[in-house]
Amino acid sequence: MNIRRAAALASSAALLPFSGAALAQNAGSPANNEQSADLRREVEEQKQRLAVLERKLELQEESAKAAAASTPKVTASATRFQLASNNGENFVRLRGTLHADNRVYGGDSVAESADTFLLRRVRPTIEGTFGGIYDFRFAPDFGGGRSVIIDAYVAARFNPGATLTVGKFKPPVGLERLQGGADLRFIERGLPTSLVPNRDIGAQLSGEFGGGTFAYQLGYFNGVTDGGSSEGLASPDVEVDTKGDYAARVFFQPFINSENFNLRGLGFGVGSTWLDIDGSAANTALAAYRSPGQQSVFSYRANTATGGAPNNATFADGQRLRLAPQFYYSRGSFGVLGEYTQVKQDVSRVVGGTTSSDTLTHSAWQAQFSYFLTGEDEAFRGFTPGSTFQPGRPGTGAFELVARIHELDIDDDTFAGGANSFANPLTAVSKATAYGVGLNWYPWNTVKLSINYEQTEFEGGAATGDRADEKALLSRFAVNF
Amino acid sequence: MSPPNWQRRLLIALGSAVFVGGVGSVAQAADVTLLNVSYDPTRELYVDFNKAFAEYWKKKTGDTVNIRQSHGGSGRQARSVIDGLAADVVTLALAADVDAIATNGKLLPLNWEERLPEHSAPYTSTIVFLVRKGNPKNIKDWDDLVKPGISVITPNPKTSGGARWNYLAGWAWALKQPGGNEASAKEYVRKLFKNVPVLDTGARGSTTTFVQRGIGDVALSWENEAWLAIKELGPDKVEIVIPSVSILAEPSVAVVDKVVLRRGTRTVAEEYLKYLYTPEGQEIAARNYYRPRNAEVAAKHQELFPKLELVTIKDFGGWAKAQKEHFGDGGVFDQIYSQ
Repeated sequence: MNIRRAAALASSAALLPFSGAALAQNAGSPANNEQSADLRREVEEQKQRLAVLERKLELQEESAKAAAASTPKVTASATRFQLASNNGENFVRLRGTLHADNRVYGGDSVAESADTFLLRRVRPTIEGTFGGIYDFRFAPDFGGGRSVIIDAYVAARFNPGATLTVGKFKPPVGLERLQGGADLRFIERGLPTSLVPNRDIGAQLSGEFGGGTFAYQLGYFNGVTDGGSSEGLASPDVEVDTKGDYAARVFFQPFINSENFNLRGLGFGVGSTWLDIDGSAANTALAAYRSPGQQSVFSYRANTATGGAPNNATFADGQRLRLAPQFYYSRGSFGVLGEYTQVKQDVSRVVGGTTSSDTLTHSAWQAQFSYFLTGEDEAFRGFTPGSTFQPGRPGTGAFELVARIHELDIDDDTFAGGANSFANPLTAVSKATAYGVGLNWYPWNTVKLSINYEQTEFEGGAATGDRADEKALLSRFAVNF
Repeated sequence: MSPPNWQRRLLIALGSAVFVGGVGSVAQAADVTLLNVSYDPTRELYVDFNKAFAEYWKKKTGDTVNIRQSHGGSGRQARSVIDGLAADVVTLALAADVDAIATNGKLLPLNWEERLPEHSAPYTSTIVFLVRKGNPKNIKDWDDLVKPGISVITPNPKTSGGARWNYLAGWAWALKQPGGNEASAKEYVRKLFKNVPVLDTGARGSTTTFVQRGIGDVALSWENEAWLAIKELGPDKVEIVIPSVSILAEPSVAVVDKVVLRRGTRTVAEEYLKYLYTPEGQEIAARNYYRPRNAEVAAKHQELFPKLELVTIKDFGGWAKAQKEHFGDGGVFDQIYSQ
């Protein structure tokens, strides 16, 4: 309130009773009729002044209220840094992901020199919305000593049933792949994720109906190798050939809006991609697969030419079809995620002028369990710790136990034919089965410390017998906001 | 090469599920919502009009149209639309405010006035005086407003379209006085605003100040707003004084192209405004004390709208000129009000 006006208002208000009293004293005295009229006029004038001041204050308040309604909102909270228009339809948000990891290996499978600290993800991210409809996200990644753009897209949310997204983002296939890096229960994703695309450039139409009970995504992308991203292609972020990758996914959460507490957290669906791709000995368009400890455990035979035209490499030569049925379920503090992924790949190899071709089918699956020891609710995306940890104050943060079993199975035909096989059985494993346990501590909404132990058994992949078990102890200090 | 049969079927099934969902979503879009961003005194007019149009549209197309209203000072409302308020249509106090949306906001073409009859002003009004019952200060014409001790209520021309009409009407009267010229008119409006104790942001606020707060001896008012005050309060509280000269106030209407394009509401928005020109629309305007363009409807309600000498905005060189000279930053109003 304007102090001068308030003072004037107060003094005017104070004057009124005295004026009224004077008027009453003079009433009935004929000699003072003229004086009474003057006093009445003065009282009226004082009343007008008071009313004007009151009205001005009222307008001032209205004006302040209107100004507040159009003032941009700046949010700097424990979880969010954002600049938004007052109606919330336009905003820009600063986000970030920093994952500082340590890997230690036991046993004979991995050389001691592989023990390392590393920056797994360093992703300063800007995202936002214009007009309540047009979203964008820009996220580079400087983790692992590289500088790449992992997400760069715009999306138009025309209505809940139709959102058009164009740019670089995750194709809609693997369930754990679609889970954000901040929401992962394990430090590294499971083996089924090795077979699905990571990030690709393309366009997608997506939406949901029935308040999220049914969701779909339909996309067309440049096409990437299993587990790969478009920045990893021979020409980074550029289409390999003229044929793209069709992707589709449907997902159901039939009880998401129901009162049925037991089934509300159930979701299931299936994702798929298909493309027809012609690789070559120089550009094979095929992937290598990694163990849970991020060691290379499978690759096709590579180019052996020491000069001249590439030769002997196995390359993609036809269709690549991925299929990924998937589900998750949570009830209270317990959650489970399961997925099966299969990729059928037409491959060829030219040895001494003779071409051999086949269709190989690799598959992987996982069952992953999580449980909050501190009572928080499990969810596929996001959660809030029941308490935070700050030294000297009450509260421990949230603790979560995780366990999983996952497996990768390489088609036996990959190794058929001895020296003419598509992959070398002496270096490439034909099967990997891993068991993992871990503990996550969330001392703050945006901070997470994780430790995982993962033991992986292999079939093949060694000069004699099987590759030695991999025993990996992975830990992470993460900030996600 | 093509996918094996079972795989192809799966892809077709996924695609079909999406297609069916998408078609279902489109098919149920028969309910339409429009936002009419208007100026202060039109609340009652558009409550009546919206109801009539919704019934007309339902009968004509079978679709349900819900019309939301937003009211405030005309200039401020235009600013809100420029800043992102998603108005399908604007029905503002004067063309200058729609011009601002076209030029500053680029939300509709500059020739918007040509898209509807009567340069997109389907009804008119004028500026009259609203005084206390019995006219105790004996206010009869514009010269009475600048006498010492007279308290005049009018909103702020910077935010209110009605206030700009008020100002220009007073200016026009001053010019018509013997020896009247720009300087004398400027001196007149300076004196006039010296007698204004409080500037509301819109016409409805001014009516509140005068009628409900009991402030002032006279309110410069839209004719329709003055009639509404009498209707609300009764003829024993306030009365209308018709000055010798006033101005033809022409509130403007327009479809906001960029909004209707985004929302897919162009057809219904256009029909909504066209309905204002129909005999039914004109009758509703007249019932709410706006002067109808339709001669027959105007004749039917002639007792509400006395004849008086009216200048028009053309006498000021059009809104673009008047806006810049009088109400733009550093314009005449800024000069006389800061003195």
